[in-house]
Parts: sequence; C-alpha cells; structure tokens
Amino acid sequence: MGKKLKGVPSGEHSPGMEERRAFLKKFVSTVFAGVLAPAILNAAPEEQAQSVQQVLPEIPEPEPGEGMENPVFQMMRDLRRALQKPLEERRWIMVIDLRKCVGCNACTVACIAENRLPPGVVYRPVIEEEIGEYPNVTRRFIPRPCMHCEHPPCTPVCPVKATYQRADGIVVVDYDRCIGCRYCLTACPYNARTFDFGEFYTEDRGIHSLMPYEQVPTGEYNKVHERTRNESPVGNARKCHFCVHRIERGLLPQCVVTCIGRATYFGDRNDPHSLVSQLIARPNIMQLKEELGTHPKVYYLI
Amino acid sequence: MAHKTYKWLTILTGILGTIGVASVIYRLIAGMKITWLSSSVPWGMWVALYIYFIGLSAGSFLFSTLIYVFGQKELEKAGRLALLSAVLALVAGLFFVWIDLGHPFRIINIAFHWNSSSVLAWEILFYVFYITCVFAELWFLMRCDLAYMRDQSHGFKKKVYKLLALGWQCPTTIGSFRACHSQSLRVTAILGAIGVPLAIGVHGGTGAIFAVVKARPYWYSPIFPIIFLVSALVSGAGLMTFLYAFLGDKKAPDHHRIVLKLSQWLMLFLGVDVLLMITELLVGIYGSIPDHIAVWNQIMFGEYWYVFWIGQMGLTVLTPILFFVLKKGSTFWMGMGGLAVATGIISVRFNLVIPAFVTPPIPHLDEVMNHIRLSFEYFPSPMEWISSIGIIALVVFFFLQAYKFLPVFEHYKPHLMQGTIQAKEVNYEA
Repeated sequence: MGKKLKGVPSGEHSPGMEERRAFLKKFVSTVFAGVLAPAILNAAPEEQAQSVQQVLPEIPEPEPGEGMENPVFQMMRDLRRALQKPLEERRWIMVIDLRKCVGCNACTVACIAENRLPPGVVYRPVIEEEIGEYPNVTRRFIPRPCMHCEHPPCTPVCPVKATYQRADGIVVVDYDRCIGCRYCLTACPYNARTFDFGEFYTEDRGIHSLMPYEQVPTGEYNKVHERTRNESPVGNARKCHFCVHRIERGLLPQCVVTCIGRATYFGDRNDPHSLVSQLIARPNIMQLKEELGTHPKVYYLI
Repeated sequence: MAHKTYKWLTILTGILGTIGVASVIYRLIAGMKITWLSSSVPWGMWVALYIYFIGLSAGSFLFSTLIYVFGQKELEKAGRLALLSAVLALVAGLFFVWIDLGHPFRIINIAFHWNSSSVLAWEILFYVFYITCVFAELWFLMRCDLAYMRDQSHGFKKKVYKLLALGWQCPTTIGSFRACHSQSLRVTAILGAIGVPLAIGVHGGTGAIFAVVKARPYWYSPIFPIIFLVSALVSGAGLMTFLYAFLGDKKAPDHHRIVLKLSQWLMLFLGVDVLLMITELLVGIYGSIPDHIAVWNQIMFGEYWYVFWIGQMGLTVLTPILFFVLKKGSTFWMGMGGLAVATGIISVRFNLVIPAFVTPPIPHLDEVMNHIRLSFEYFPSPMEWISSIGIIALVVFFFLQAYKFLPVFEHYKPHLMQGTIQAKEVNYEA
C-alpha cells in the first residue's frame, strides 16, 4: 500500500513531496514559536508566492505501512490519482453519512480556522434537528457545505461573472472582481453563501488592536488576501470552495480531514474506483432539493 | 406652491439632504457593517427603495408616453413634470442600489465583465439606455425655453443654462418656431415610443431580477414582473396626481379637469394592481406550499403586519379610492390621494423584497445560524434609516430646484415677448 501511495504522485509530484516534508518541519516549529503571523504580515510583495505556502498549512504524509486502510488515506490516493487527469475530467463530490455525524461541529470550526473566516461568515454549518417525542426521540445532524451544483443557480445571476463554475465543477468566487451585490446569496436555494460584512472577533472588545490570529491572511483560491477594512474579501460573497487550495496540493478538504466520525468523504466522481463513487451507488443516497434541478455534488447517505 | 412653503421645504430638504450625503460618505468609509442586513436577509431597506424609485421612474415615464406617444393631449401640461420625475427617481433608485454594493467602486466591472445571463447586468444596460432616452426627451421639450433662459440670465445661472441648452438657438420667427415645436413633439413621440419598451424593460426587468430566483417561491412567479410594472404605473400616476394638484397652475381653468383625469388613470391602474395582488395571494394560498404560505403569513400576520394592513391596504389602496369617491370635486383631496399612493407604494416594495427571506430555505437552518450576520430577522439599522431619509430629501431638494429653475410648466415664448406675435397665436398642438 505504501508503495502504491508513493507511486501515485510519481514524477513531478515526488520532489514536491520531499520539499513539503522539509517545509512542514519548518512550518510546525514556526507555529509553535508563535511568530507565524508577524512573519506573514511582514512579507514583502515579492515574497507573496511563498506566503501562500505559509498561509496554507499541510498535514503529515503517511509513513508507509502506517494505517493505510484508513479511508482518509484511500481518499488521498483517489485525490492524487484524479489530479493527474486534466482539470475538466475531474468531478469532485462530497458524500456525508448522516448516520455517522454526531453534530460535533468540528468541520464547521475546522473550516473557519482553515479559511480564517470572520464572525458571521460560515461555509459549513451543521443543521440540528430533533425527530420524534420522548421517549421515542432522536437527533439528526445535517452538515451543509456548498452543494457545488452541476447547474448552479447562483452563477448565472452574477452581473460581473465573479462567481463561476470551474472546469472541474467547483463553484468559486473571484474576490477581486465581485462587486458585493449579493444577488448570488438570494439565488442559492441552500443559503450556502454568506456575505463578509467586515466584522472582527476582537474588535469592539476593549482591545486596542486586532489579535494576530485575525490578521492572518486567508489563502483561499491560492491567493493571499489580507482582510483589512473594506478590502476583499470584506464586502464579497463568500462560500465553501471544497478547499480548492488544498485539493490542488493533493490534500483533502479540511472538513473531511477533521471529521471525528468519518462521516464526510471526498473524491472524484469520474473515477469509478474512488471511494466516493462506491458510496454514491448505494440505495440510501439522496441530495438536497433535487427537485430544483440543481444537481448538487454533495450527497447524503441516510 | 406658496413661496413660504417652497422656502421651508427647500431648507428642510437641504438640511436632511446634507445629512444624507454625510451618511453616504460614512457608509463608503465604514462599509456594509453599518447596516443590519445579514447573509440570510441580504437585501433590505436600500433594495426596497431601489425598486421603489425605479418603479416611480418607469411609472412616471410611461405616464408621459400617454401624452407624447398615445395622444392624451389634455394631460400635456403634466408632461415635462412626468419626465423630470422619471429622471430624478431613476437617479435616486440607482443611488440606492449603488450604496448597497459591498464594493461600490467596482461598479465599472459590469462594463468590463458584463454577464449576459444575469438579469441584473441586463438591467444596468437598460437603465443606461433609458436614462439617455428620458434626458433626450426632456431636452427636446425644453430646448427653446432653456436657450431663452440662457439668453436672459447672467453669471452662474447663465453658465448652467448654457450647459443645459447645449448651444441651441431659438427660432425667432413664428413659422420657424412652429416648425421647431412640432419637430420637438415628433422627436419626443419617437423617443417616447423607443422609451416604452425600455421602461417596460427597466421595471418589468427589475421585477424579473426577483422572478427568476427559483430558490424563493414567493418571487418565483411569472406574474411578478407584471406586478412590478403595474405597481410602477400606480406609483407614477399617484405621483403625477399629487404633483400636478399642488404644483400645477391652480388658477388655470383646466386644472381640476386634469387632476381628475390623472386620478381616473390612477384608479384604473390601482384596480389592475389590486386584481394582480389578489391573484397572487389566492393562488399562493391555494397551493399551500409551506415556504410560500410562510411568506404570506409573515406579511399579513407577522411582526410587521402593519406594513401590509396600514401601508399597503390602507394608504395605497383604500385612501386614494375613498378620496376619489368622496372628494372628486376637490383637487386638494385627489392630490392627497395621489400622495398616499406614491408614499404607500414604499410599503408594497418592502413587502416584495424582505419577507421572501424570512423562512430558512432548509428547515432548522435558522436555529444554527446564530450570529447576527446570519440571522433570518431584519430591521433597518439607524444608519439605513438616516441615509434613506437623507437621500430621499436630497432628491426632493433637487426636484424643488428643478421646479424653480427649469421650465417645468411654463412655455417660455422668447421671441413672442419681444416681437409682435402674441402668445395665443401659437398653436402648440400643431
């Protein structure tokens, strides 16, 4: 299995992985030294490309033979296999097993941390529902990321083509083009888009300046966006992007990695051997609001 | 209008307008944070006022086409007034939607990255053509007067008139004046005819912005753009009745007749509007789709029930009908009826936009969206109120200035005053 993993990201990927490992060591020590934020903030513009690397954390590579049956590693293998195909041949989907979800909100929080989301911006809330009455009562939890619809109602309404579907099906927002009209927010049948009103956690709390963790730029879409007053992404529509910055580095979306109950799966639907392709062939699969013809790429196992 | 009233109105709207300008500057600096909007109710007071003013503009303009295109000559005296209202209301509407943008200074992106599948993008295009058309019409109607005023005034005023007259020279003989005037009317008729589909596109299209959103059952209806159009005509007719009743020449023998005629048009449009609203309501209730019913419940019996019962039903529908039925002899009461409609329509606009957001599109989503910026409840913030009142005051202020300094009613007869020709010899309908 270890061989397989090494074999998958072969050629151009292997050196990258070595670098990543070396970088990771540095990165971790940087985090613990507590100098991450100043280091990024002081970076000169020409160092921005590197800043993206710094902004985006990585997870350890699995050592050969170590827990290779873990679905996370299987999904990573699926993901890296998909990355070797041209962009338009990939179809990323997410499968969420509702019977495994315990409503811990770890994915919600991990997403907020990964994308440095401010207060009032959330990409993946977990809907909680109580079914039945005592003594016959259960609870159901429905994580709701962006559905990345095959026919998204939110993209055609954008007056400036700032939100669009990528060739691999991921619906993205161009922060630097978005005028902030919020038409896409009204058009989404899942309320999966939020507007960045420019709120901060540590503002108006008697603290003179923002805490460093609020000043860490976001690395969404592989771009560094420092969140300052009135500058993008403030004043933009924001949404889940399947952690596209992670996917392109061969990593799974943060919510998938974080899930404590292994309720969330991610992979390429166009690959019949991927884990997700096997999962969506089950009879207990469903999607939200299928009747609207949006063809969501987030599936639920019920 | 009495000189004193005019003076006080100018001062009041001037002060409120200044506050409005200040609040807009504050909004541009502080960002959208100053609103009480959320990601679940992303459109609020400013968008409601945007569609209100766009409606008022399209309504006033379509009203003017009754005169210049469809030959309702007896209303001609109210023609320029209608066009002036159309211009100012459109500017106000666009201003409201502009300050509602998260990045107002990126508005130019619409030109560079125009998205043909977006109704909003099409609307911006419509607004540009429409405002050009209305300006052109107004200019053709006023060009002789403006040129005369330019020649008669001095200093700063002269410069302003010079700018507005665009170098037009008045004909000096009665023959050429008649030719010039009939040319103006001909051009106006053509521009008006072009303007009709534009105005329908402007406000029907604004309705379509909402009607194409399948995520909101309350909006997602083919009748929605039509309701927008008809209610635009209602607000336009209401505004015209009010303005003409109070600003028109009260001593003129036909004053009462014109106000009555305007009122009759208002009643007709109002009747159709009520019919459409009842259709929408009954079909919605009959269908009993939960999301649809929830919206009507919210509108009629929710927290803001008074917007519907007092604003929409009382002020916009019953008041003008009562005034019309009981006080047909009084231009004052018919004018007040017009005012009731023109202001009451604001509540119609609020109810067209905001209630669509109150039900979470996925059940129980509202229970986990705890932050105030995710809330499904909305009430305009103090800054939204202040800026809205300020901008409206500013528009009224500009209207008052235009009323005073532009030839809105009077047909100036430059050459007639100096020459031997008498004003009555000129047949304007020629």
